[in-house]
Amino acid sequence: MRTVSSSRPAPADPLLPDIDENGVDRAQIRAMLALSPEERLRKVEEYVAAALEIRQLNEPRSLR
Amino acid sequence: MSRARFAEILQRLAATDTEFIVVEMTAGVLHGAPVTTLDLDIVHRRTPGNIARLLRVLSELDAVYRHDARGLRPQESHLMSPGHQLLSTSLVDLDCLGMIGDGLGYEDLQDRTVALTLASGRSIRVLSLPALIETKEQAARPKDLAALPVLRATLEESKRVP
Repeated sequence: MRTVSSSRPAPADPLLPDIDENGVDRAQIRAMLALSPEERLRKVEEYVAAALEIRQLNEPRSLR
Repeated sequence: MSRARFAEILQRLAATDTEFIVVEMTAGVLHGAPVTTLDLDIVHRRTPGNIARLLRVLSELDAVYRHDARGLRPQESHLMSPGHQLLSTSLVDLDCLGMIGDGLGYEDLQDRTVALTLASGRSIRVLSLPALIETKEQAARPKDLAALPVLRATLEESKRVP
Protein backbone atom coordinates (compact mmCIF):
# COMPACT_ATOMS: atom_id res chain seq x y z
CA MET A 1 0.00 0.00 0.00
CA ARG A 2 1.29 3.41 -0.92
CA THR A 3 1.78 5.79 1.97
CA VAL A 4 1.03 9.47 1.70
CA SER A 5 3.78 11.80 2.74
CA SER A 6 3.37 15.40 3.81
CA SER A 7 6.78 16.33 2.48
CA ARG A 8 5.39 18.34 -0.45
CA PRO A 9 5.98 22.03 0.29
CA ALA A 10 2.95 24.30 0.46
CA PRO A 11 2.82 26.84 -2.40
CA ALA A 12 3.79 30.39 -1.57
CA ASP A 13 0.78 31.91 -3.34
CA PRO A 14 -2.52 30.05 -2.81
CA LEU A 15 -4.04 31.71 -5.90
CA LEU A 16 -1.52 30.28 -8.35
CA PRO A 17 -2.26 26.98 -10.10
CA ASP A 18 -0.68 24.14 -8.22
CA ILE A 19 -0.78 20.94 -10.25
CA ASP A 20 1.05 17.98 -8.75
CA GLU A 21 2.97 15.20 -10.52
CA ASN A 22 -0.26 13.19 -11.00
CA GLY A 23 -2.08 16.10 -12.62
CA VAL A 24 -4.17 16.79 -9.51
CA ASP A 25 -5.05 20.43 -8.93
CA ARG A 26 -4.03 21.00 -5.31
CA ALA A 27 -5.54 24.51 -5.28
CA GLN A 28 -8.94 22.96 -6.08
CA ILE A 29 -8.53 20.60 -3.13
CA ARG A 30 -7.66 23.46 -0.80
CA ALA A 31 -10.73 25.37 -2.03
CA MET A 32 -12.89 22.33 -1.19
CA LEU A 33 -11.25 21.92 2.21
CA ALA A 34 -12.15 25.53 3.01
CA LEU A 35 -15.85 24.62 2.76
CA SER A 36 -18.02 22.77 5.26
CA PRO A 37 -18.98 19.17 4.36
CA GLU A 38 -22.50 20.27 3.38
CA GLU A 39 -21.16 23.10 1.23
CA ARG A 40 -19.02 20.49 -0.55
CA LEU A 41 -22.13 18.44 -1.29
CA ARG A 42 -23.92 21.54 -2.63
CA LYS A 43 -21.02 22.07 -5.04
CA VAL A 44 -21.53 18.56 -6.41
CA GLU A 45 -25.31 19.07 -6.59
CA GLU A 46 -24.84 22.28 -8.56
CA TYR A 47 -22.33 20.68 -10.90
CA VAL A 48 -24.48 17.61 -11.54
CA ALA A 49 -27.59 19.75 -12.11
CA ALA A 50 -25.77 21.94 -14.62
CA ALA A 51 -24.28 18.98 -16.46
CA LEU A 52 -27.62 17.16 -16.65
CA GLU A 53 -29.36 20.30 -17.88
CA ILE A 54 -26.91 20.63 -20.76
CA ARG A 55 -27.33 16.95 -21.58
CA GLN A 56 -31.12 17.27 -21.59
CA LEU A 57 -30.96 20.33 -23.83
CA ASN A 58 -28.89 18.37 -26.32
CA GLU A 59 -30.73 15.08 -26.31
CA PRO A 60 -31.76 14.05 -29.80
CA ARG A 61 -35.48 14.63 -30.30
CA SER A 62 -37.49 11.59 -31.36
CA LEU A 63 -39.00 11.83 -34.82
CA ARG A 64 -42.76 11.68 -35.11
CA MET B 1 -35.70 13.09 -9.58
CA SER B 2 -35.11 16.55 -11.00
CA ARG B 3 -31.98 17.43 -9.06
CA ALA B 4 -29.71 15.32 -6.88
CA ARG B 5 -30.08 16.44 -3.26
CA PHE B 6 -27.38 14.64 -1.32
CA ALA B 7 -27.47 16.85 1.77
CA GLU B 8 -31.23 16.53 2.12
CA ILE B 9 -31.29 12.74 2.06
CA LEU B 10 -28.48 12.61 4.63
CA GLN B 11 -30.52 14.96 6.83
CA ARG B 12 -33.59 12.74 6.43
CA LEU B 13 -31.67 9.59 7.33
CA ALA B 14 -29.95 11.23 10.29
CA ALA B 15 -33.23 12.68 11.59
CA THR B 16 -34.66 9.17 11.93
CA ASP B 17 -31.55 7.85 13.75
CA THR B 18 -30.91 5.43 10.91
CA GLU B 19 -27.44 3.92 11.37
CA PHE B 20 -25.39 4.09 8.19
CA ILE B 21 -21.92 4.92 6.91
CA VAL B 22 -21.36 7.07 3.83
CA VAL B 23 -18.85 5.33 1.56
CA GLU B 24 -17.49 5.66 -1.99
CA MET B 25 -17.14 9.01 -3.74
CA THR B 26 -19.70 10.90 -1.67
CA ALA B 27 -17.44 10.13 1.30
CA GLY B 28 -14.58 11.56 -0.77
CA VAL B 29 -16.58 14.73 -1.44
CA LEU B 30 -17.45 15.10 2.25
CA HIS B 31 -13.74 14.87 3.05
CA GLY B 32 -13.00 17.61 0.51
CA ALA B 33 -12.00 15.73 -2.63
CA PRO B 34 -12.88 17.76 -5.75
CA VAL B 35 -14.71 14.91 -7.45
CA THR B 36 -18.25 14.37 -8.54
CA THR B 37 -20.73 11.52 -8.38
CA LEU B 38 -24.30 10.84 -9.38
CA ASP B 39 -25.31 8.61 -6.49
CA LEU B 40 -25.02 8.20 -2.75
CA ASP B 41 -23.58 4.94 -1.40
CA ILE B 42 -24.21 3.90 2.17
CA VAL B 43 -23.48 0.79 4.23
CA HIS B 44 -26.45 0.38 6.55
CA ARG B 45 -26.58 -1.54 9.83
CA ARG B 46 -28.46 -4.76 9.13
CA THR B 47 -30.57 -5.10 12.25
CA PRO B 48 -34.38 -5.33 12.16
CA GLY B 49 -34.85 -2.01 14.01
CA ASN B 50 -32.46 -0.11 11.80
CA ILE B 51 -33.87 -1.55 8.62
CA ALA B 52 -37.36 -0.54 9.75
CA ARG B 53 -36.10 3.05 10.19
CA LEU B 54 -34.37 2.96 6.80
CA LEU B 55 -37.46 1.55 5.10
CA ARG B 56 -39.60 4.36 6.53
CA VAL B 57 -37.30 6.95 4.93
CA LEU B 58 -37.15 4.98 1.68
CA SER B 59 -40.94 4.79 1.58
CA GLU B 60 -41.26 8.56 2.11
CA LEU B 61 -38.83 9.08 -0.76
CA ASP B 62 -40.66 6.68 -3.12
CA ALA B 63 -37.59 4.45 -3.44
CA VAL B 64 -37.72 1.83 -6.17
CA TYR B 65 -35.11 -0.43 -7.72
CA ARG B 66 -33.27 1.64 -10.29
CA HIS B 67 -33.03 -0.98 -13.00
CA ASP B 68 -36.39 -2.66 -12.51
CA ALA B 69 -39.07 -1.64 -14.99
CA ARG B 70 -41.80 -2.91 -12.63
CA GLY B 71 -40.95 -0.28 -10.01
CA LEU B 72 -40.14 -2.90 -7.37
CA ARG B 73 -39.86 -1.39 -3.89
CA PRO B 74 -37.18 -2.49 -1.40
CA GLN B 75 -38.33 -4.82 1.36
CA GLU B 76 -36.85 -5.81 4.73
CA SER B 77 -35.49 -9.08 3.31
CA HIS B 78 -33.62 -7.21 0.57
CA LEU B 79 -31.98 -4.83 3.02
CA MET B 80 -31.07 -7.62 5.45
CA SER B 81 -28.97 -9.27 2.74
CA PRO B 82 -25.26 -8.47 2.29
CA GLY B 83 -25.95 -7.49 -1.33
CA HIS B 84 -26.18 -4.13 -3.01
CA GLN B 85 -29.60 -2.53 -3.41
CA LEU B 86 -29.41 0.05 -6.20
CA LEU B 87 -32.34 2.39 -5.67
CA SER B 88 -33.78 5.51 -7.19
CA THR B 89 -35.44 7.98 -4.79
CA SER B 90 -37.09 11.37 -5.15
CA LEU B 91 -33.90 13.03 -3.88
CA VAL B 92 -30.98 11.09 -5.30
CA ASP B 93 -30.00 7.66 -6.57
CA LEU B 94 -29.16 5.70 -3.44
CA ASP B 95 -27.13 2.50 -3.18
CA CYS B 96 -27.76 0.64 0.09
CA LEU B 97 -24.84 -1.73 0.47
CA GLY B 98 -25.00 -4.61 2.91
CA MET B 99 -21.27 -5.16 2.65
CA ILE B 100 -18.37 -3.66 0.74
CA GLY B 101 -14.87 -4.82 -0.13
CA ASP B 102 -13.85 -8.12 1.37
CA GLY B 103 -17.14 -8.74 3.18
CA LEU B 104 -17.09 -5.65 5.39
CA GLY B 105 -20.39 -4.64 6.95
CA TYR B 106 -21.43 -1.75 9.19
CA GLU B 107 -19.94 -3.24 12.35
CA ASP B 108 -16.60 -3.94 10.63
CA LEU B 109 -16.35 -0.40 9.29
CA GLN B 110 -17.64 1.72 12.16
CA ASP B 111 -14.24 2.06 13.83
CA ARG B 112 -12.87 3.46 10.58
CA THR B 113 -15.33 6.30 10.28
CA VAL B 114 -15.47 9.93 11.29
CA ALA B 115 -18.56 11.73 12.56
CA LEU B 116 -19.53 14.82 10.59
CA THR B 117 -22.11 17.25 11.94
CA LEU B 118 -24.79 18.52 9.58
CA ALA B 119 -26.33 22.00 9.68
CA SER B 120 -29.28 20.53 11.60
CA GLY B 121 -26.92 19.54 14.41
CA ARG B 122 -27.36 15.86 13.61
CA SER B 123 -24.25 13.85 12.88
CA ILE B 124 -23.55 11.22 10.26
CA ARG B 125 -20.77 8.65 10.03
CA VAL B 126 -18.51 8.80 6.99
CA LEU B 127 -15.80 6.31 6.06
CA SER B 128 -12.47 7.94 6.91
CA LEU B 129 -10.34 9.13 4.03
CA PRO B 130 -7.50 6.63 4.73
CA ALA B 131 -10.07 3.80 4.86
CA LEU B 132 -11.69 5.00 1.64
CA ILE B 133 -8.28 5.02 -0.05
CA GLU B 134 -7.67 1.49 1.23
CA THR B 135 -10.97 0.20 -0.16
CA LYS B 136 -10.10 1.72 -3.54
CA GLU B 137 -6.63 0.16 -3.47
CA GLN B 138 -8.09 -3.24 -2.63
CA ALA B 139 -10.87 -3.06 -5.23
CA ALA B 140 -8.26 -2.01 -7.82
CA ARG B 141 -10.74 -1.75 -10.68
CA PRO B 142 -9.84 0.90 -13.26
CA LYS B 143 -12.40 3.33 -11.80
CA ASP B 144 -11.01 2.83 -8.30
CA LEU B 145 -7.42 3.30 -9.41
CA ALA B 146 -8.39 6.43 -11.33
CA ALA B 147 -9.77 7.99 -8.14
CA LEU B 148 -6.66 7.32 -6.06
CA PRO B 149 -4.43 10.29 -7.03
CA VAL B 150 -7.04 12.88 -6.07
CA LEU B 151 -8.01 11.04 -2.86
CA ARG B 152 -4.37 10.70 -1.80
CA ALA B 153 -3.72 14.36 -2.60
CA THR B 154 -6.79 15.35 -0.56
CA LEU B 155 -5.50 13.36 2.40
CA GLU B 156 -2.13 15.04 2.11
CA GLU B 157 -3.66 18.52 1.86
CA SER B 158 -6.07 17.88 4.73
CA LYS B 159 -3.10 17.17 6.99
CA ARG B 160 -1.85 20.70 6.32
CA VAL B 161 -5.11 22.29 7.44
CA PRO B 162 -4.59 23.64 10.96
